[in-house]
Amino acid sequence: MKIYPYKRLNRPVVLRVSSVSLKLSDGTRDQLETTAYSTQQQAVALGIAGHTDWVSATIGLSATLPPGATASDAAWSDLCVLAVLTDGETNVRTSAALTRDAEDGRDWSGSLEVFRDDHLGRASLSVHAVGTVEGVQGRSIAETDRNWVVDTVSDEPVRGFQLDVQKASFKRSSREWLLAYADAPWIVDTSARVPTVFVNTDVEGVIGLLDSSGSGVDSKVRDLLVAQMATDVWIAVFHGAIGDLEVEPGGGPVFPTDWQGEVLREMLPDVIPGVHVEEALRQVHRRRTGESGWVELQTRIHYAAVRRADASKALAYAIRSLEQMNRESET
Amino acid sequence: MITQPSHVPERLALLATSAVDPFLTEELLRSEQVHGGIDLAKVVEPLPEDDARWSVEPIRSLVEDAMFEFREDRTRADAWLAPRLHATLRLTRREAADKRLWNHLALAVAPEYVAWRHLSEATANRPDRRIAAERFRGPADRQCFSRLWWAAELFRNGPDYEPVVAACGNQDLIHTVLRMELIDHRPTAQALVRLLQNGQVTGGREINGLSTAINAAGATLVYDVLAPDEPRDPARLREWIAEAGSALPVGRYELPMGPDEDPVPEESVAALTSYFADLFETAPIRGRTPQG
Repeated sequence: MKIYPYKRLNRPVVLRVSSVSLKLSDGTRDQLETTAYSTQQQAVALGIAGHTDWVSATIGLSATLPPGATASDAAWSDLCVLAVLTDGETNVRTSAALTRDAEDGRDWSGSLEVFRDDHLGRASLSVHAVGTVEGVQGRSIAETDRNWVVDTVSDEPVRGFQLDVQKASFKRSSREWLLAYADAPWIVDTSARVPTVFVNTDVEGVIGLLDSSGSGVDSKVRDLLVAQMATDVWIAVFHGAIGDLEVEPGGGPVFPTDWQGEVLREMLPDVIPGVHVEEALRQVHRRRTGESGWVELQTRIHYAAVRRADASKALAYAIRSLEQMNRESET
Repeated sequence: MITQPSHVPERLALLATSAVDPFLTEELLRSEQVHGGIDLAKVVEPLPEDDARWSVEPIRSLVEDAMFEFREDRTRADAWLAPRLHATLRLTRREAADKRLWNHLALAVAPEYVAWRHLSEATANRPDRRIAAERFRGPADRQCFSRLWWAAELFRNGPDYEPVVAACGNQDLIHTVLRMELIDHRPTAQALVRLLQNGQVTGGREINGLSTAINAAGATLVYDVLAPDEPRDPARLREWIAEAGSALPVGRYELPMGPDEDPVPEESVAALTSYFADLFETAPIRGRTPQG
């Protein structure tokens, strides 16, 4: 917990998205359905209507301050509420002031403009309540405890780590570098903007297997295959993220702002259990760059990946399915 | 020292980071030998044909001039090249965030510039001269060309590149501050430059100390409230980009003009400059004895 040298509100600001509309390049507006955002996921998907020619998005917001914000004996004055949109990939920071819905109320609302030219993938949206405390202007009194994710590409409002799956013939792809991996069924590329799994269509039947539906042995084998791929991906992205860490002038590693940060926050609790993720990151970084401990950590990294890939479940179902099949063939 | 590859493409393209490795050879990193260019051309993804911005010639001519002009003192090339590269290669931030573009520029278009600018000096500890691979393909604030473009983008004051020259003239500033999130707030960026311009902050330790103090204070202060910025009009940037095809080559002596966006409100810059100056008074700086 952080300690502040002045009075603040203990509880977080609650932020809701109330509407999303896109301004298209021909000047018209498209009001997106409510499925474009999810309060539970705290995510907005601007790609949901399939427009590729949008110029800007207007996100309608409402924020509720925690109790005590408007108390008559509050330690602050000049209360204002600000929505802030940041994007670590494009260094964008835009803010919009919200207005109070009713005098003395705790609800504030307004809107924030998101320009398509300003973002490649995801931006992060937070709300800050700010006031003058003990003569100091601009003090943060309360903020949202979890940022909303504004995804400028996705067609589904989900947060969490995203993965791109591409199918390609490694022998004949226009991506000639895939040729070097022609005998692999799949490879993981963590150097792309979003980690990507390339599935080699030269392996006969692999696409048929991956696309198989139904409840037969096929689908169990498919799930097992997917779990195997996912394990590979999680291991690769973890190493990719740890290998790319920026180090502050003081010496500590900094959480990346893009998918690498998401991956680390998700996996670190399994890699170094029982400590804060910041501390876990420091420990992992120390072990990788220091003299010892990196090799020993590999088992934990593998464990964290296997858990995320649901490998145990996939294996259990596949085994049960095989047992059933064997029984049927015996009778 | 290497020269340009025997085949230099006429147009910029996208080079995936995963495709870079075969060309990022040990010989290249030691600046002994560069690839021929033909094989690299096979693995790139082309950019749209009808866009004049992707022509390589204006960029080649800029880096050649920079290497000639600053042959005696290569670090000074940053302050000259950053605004000129930015005004020549007109990009939206969305486009500039695509690392594949910068990979191509560094590996295919001007690898000899990367070598010229970033080949390390031989020292007692490291007698082998070497270029860090991140100068070819790496984080935006490290890669040879993207760091200059982003420095220009983040430190320009609307169309005015003068603050960019000041910021890039100080290696410590672009080296440490460019990676920090605080710089995304335009008035903060301008206030930092102003402290540099009026001599209140100079060396690397001072800049490190000050930026750490700004960051620490930012945990409880919302600078957007202390020093508000105007909302940007995205149409201005679009127009500037659309004019790229008809724009004259950037001046070699005079600074070019950036996109016609509104400058940062002067009151906001002034307020933050004096606030940071106060903060700097009390900030712990290595090597400085506390006063009072």
